[in-house]
Amino acid sequence: MTIRGGAPGEPAPTGAGDDLTGLLIRIAARDAAAFAALYKLTSAKLYGVVARILTRGDVAADVLQEAYVRIWEKAGDFDPLKGSALAWMATIARNRALDEVRRVRPASLEDQPEGFEPAAEEIDPLAARERSEGLARLIDCLKALDDEKRAIILLAYYRGLSREALAKRFGRPVATIKTWLHRSLAQLRDCLAS
Amino acid sequence: MTISPDDDFAAAEYALGTLDASERATLAARRLREPELDEAIRGWEARLAPLAEAAPEIEPPGDLLPAIEARIRGASPEAPGSAAVVALERSIRRWRAAAIAASIVAGVLAIGFIAREATRQSAPREYVAILQKDAASPAFEVTVNLDKQELTVRPVAARAPPGKSYELWIIDAKLGARSLGVVGETSRAASLSAYDPVVVADATYAVTVEPRGGSPDGKPSGPPVFVGKLIPVVP
Repeated sequence: MTIRGGAPGEPAPTGAGDDLTGLLIRIAARDAAAFAALYKLTSAKLYGVVARILTRGDVAADVLQEAYVRIWEKAGDFDPLKGSALAWMATIARNRALDEVRRVRPASLEDQPEGFEPAAEEIDPLAARERSEGLARLIDCLKALDDEKRAIILLAYYRGLSREALAKRFGRPVATIKTWLHRSLAQLRDCLAS
Repeated sequence: MTISPDDDFAAAEYALGTLDASERATLAARRLREPELDEAIRGWEARLAPLAEAAPEIEPPGDLLPAIEARIRGASPEAPGSAAVVALERSIRRWRAAAIAASIVAGVLAIGFIAREATRQSAPREYVAILQKDAASPAFEVTVNLDKQELTVRPVAARAPPGKSYELWIIDAKLGARSLGVVGETSRAASLSAYDPVVVADATYAVTVEPRGGSPDGKPSGPPVFVGKLIPVVP
């Protein structure tokens, strides 16, 4: 396999990057065994992404299934030069989860406190020990944001909170949240481009 | 990049996930028709995607793989010509997304949120249909422009059996089946000026297998092998 997974020079700490890329290429050629292997390697990861957005387990499981069907269908679209295989898959799963959480109810976290207890389980990527090059760069840029603004970006990403839900949660007007989001995102963009 | 700063923020928030249902649906629909916006969204998705690495794993409830495999088997293209099929599947997904987006927008409209959207949405002028045997076998892409009263049919993966022709029909409860002509291996346009736009928008479009050159008596010789309904293309 000459095509590398992930960004050039990515250390691929688990050694899984190349494997996932190879599997996706085989899946694009309709290799069912490769698909089963990909599922085993990545399902807990992708479920970790969707289940934090969709607090209802049955919905999350269904969205995970749909995400894998899409991964099977779209494997041929994956471009290893544009990002890691895992990032590509997570984007598919996360988009599907976001569509679902918005469709079902706009403020699921507030309405459905069952399942994960958000306060007890915030993800702090800054504490991640294993980092791809992409994550390391993003973390460096996130560090430059104020704590509260960084927390907003992370909650939005990991929990799928809308501006309204973020406003409620941080006790700020929605307009303020929007302004902050825009400033933070612009800052991240510029930082990542530098 | 030719995108406006507002659109770039919208793209960023789409990727981050902070838009509400109607904003999200609007953007999902717009990206289908605005390549720069689509590119911007992809760019933002790529910037943020490394965060997913840091999400701790959670074991899914039970083994979902057999169910996923069953869904994939039910949806696997059985025929070769897979490049075209893959390309069409891609466009089907885009159109489905547009349809979902449209229904969400419609839902929001029903509650009466966005009057501006309402005017815009009230009379879609462009439609698309994918004619297929089942979800896995897309065969023809039909696009309709109501302003031009014109239909374009594009064969994607279908090849008529030897000695036979594919024929396209517009089917309506009142009209019955009316021929829109034989479909060969290239795109072809057909005039819809003889049909009421309401009928055009609501009709079923179907392809039958006919003797070479088309149905001899102007009626379908057999049941449709590929069918589809139009979906409005959301502005």
